[in-house]
Amino acid sequence: MEKNFDRGSALSIFSSDRKEDFMALAFALIIAFAVYVSY
Amino acid sequence: MVYTKKSPALFIIGVIMLAIWYGAVNGMLDGYMEHLAAGKKYKYGAELMGIPLYFGLVAAVIGAWQWFGSHTEGSWDYYSSTIAGGMFILLIAMLVRWFIAPEVAVISMSMGKVGDTGKYIHKLLGLNYVVMGIVTGIIVVNVFKVPEWAKNGVRLSRLGLKTGVILLGTLYSAAELKNLGGLSIVMIGFFVLGSVGLVLWMGARRGIPNSMGGVLSAGMGVCGVSATVAAAPVVQAKSVEIAYTIGTILLWGVGCMFIFPIVGQLLDMSYVQFGAWAGTGILNSAQVAGAALAYQPDGIETLKVAEIFNITRVLVLPIIILWLAMWYVKREEHATKVNVGQIIFEKFPVFVLGFILLFALSTTGVFAPANHYKGKYFDNTIVKASEMMTDAQIAVLTANADKVQRQDRKAALARLIEGRKVASIEDDATIRGLVNSKVMGKKAGAILKKAHKAVRHTAKKVKAFRKWITWLFAFGLVGLGMQITFASMKQAGGQPAVIGGVVGLLKAILSLVVVLLFVSETI
Repeated sequence: MEKNFDRGSALSIFSSDRKEDFMALAFALIIAFAVYVSY
Repeated sequence: MVYTKKSPALFIIGVIMLAIWYGAVNGMLDGYMEHLAAGKKYKYGAELMGIPLYFGLVAAVIGAWQWFGSHTEGSWDYYSSTIAGGMFILLIAMLVRWFIAPEVAVISMSMGKVGDTGKYIHKLLGLNYVVMGIVTGIIVVNVFKVPEWAKNGVRLSRLGLKTGVILLGTLYSAAELKNLGGLSIVMIGFFVLGSVGLVLWMGARRGIPNSMGGVLSAGMGVCGVSATVAAAPVVQAKSVEIAYTIGTILLWGVGCMFIFPIVGQLLDMSYVQFGAWAGTGILNSAQVAGAALAYQPDGIETLKVAEIFNITRVLVLPIIILWLAMWYVKREEHATKVNVGQIIFEKFPVFVLGFILLFALSTTGVFAPANHYKGKYFDNTIVKASEMMTDAQIAVLTANADKVQRQDRKAALARLIEGRKVASIEDDATIRGLVNSKVMGKKAGAILKKAHKAVRHTAKKVKAFRKWITWLFAFGLVGLGMQITFASMKQAGGQPAVIGGVVGLLKAILSLVVVLLFVSETI
């Protein structure tokens, strides 16, 4: 699978786990904000 | 390299989702939903009215652009090309959750209960949408291969799981965490340190290199793949040793993910017991979530317990890295000194801190009153007139009051009878205990339950978070299935697999025994 991508790893589109963690945090905060304002 | 494929696939996925929505809204699926509900109310009716519409529109519009538009190399192409694979996973999750898993349940129920177990075969085998979603993913990747246009997006699954774990932080109340936290620290402390120590000891006895033993001990003891990666530089592990460790963890973890729920069903474990067992006994974070959701697919109490254990385990990671660093330097005279602090700082999973951040936010009461319990909170000032206890109900309680022996229960019951509603959150807990003890009989018990429900209110935001988390995990786990290739599991072999197997089995059995002996339904 690895050969198919020139960025990220076989398991992630991000270049490092740290970047993936921060993206997950950003998404989670966006969802939390959306839930906060709409309910 | 241009990642976006000029393929109609994403557009077709969008059309399928829109067709599902259209069929549900116009009643065309009513007959089928009735069949799937098997005499009850179809559980997913509300989801069918919204989710496929929103995602179907996004998929159809972007799919048309990907199909007919022109694409050039760059970051926009790289990231937007993941949408096709992401929607592919989502469509599979939708079909499995809404149609395939309920159909399997209908077939299983038509076959009757299995022997003396009193359970249907789909319950015993855990054939729900979580397990079937993962299995579908495994079949897709190993039998049919992931289509070219979906390959980039399949790598989004871990992002979905991490986002889900962070959002889980919004669902815990301080009381729940207090109850579970102590238990998880004791259990995880014992089993993590025990497994790391045992792998290192067995590794030395069986003559595997220290670097191999070190990396395998972190993987088997802490949290699977991420711990392996974090420990690798400390013990100067070679790529092949990392691959062996990850292969061993995957092989063991995937097996546990399917076997744990079956054992849990056979032993009739409570959600807390199963969550504690899965969070301790299963090696890799994603598979802990998989097993917990497989055990309780339509609720996330088990997942919450399992994740607290899992997160406690991740928090132990710095201690293990320090231990391994000292252990390795002592054994290898020529070992190059590494900056342990820097490795811990660089490799520590930030999403765990995200979980803690959202939990901290949640305890301020921003999403639900801070005293909520499983998304329900106590408030006896907003009890409707129709929910106040009637004279007839008071009479039943008064007639049965003599059966109550404990003074605290007697006092709580007296206050309830006097005020016609539960007087305080403490009384509510006492009365719940009274209901569970069943001393007052069925009729009185039902009245007490009703009084309890009247002062417990659902936090709508918590309910919304539960839905998001369920879908993020469903998405992540189907994608996880698509990353479980037989080739990756074949990486396990030789001594690492033997040591991993022995330690993994011991950990699973011992943690099961400890859970069954010492853990009860405490939250």
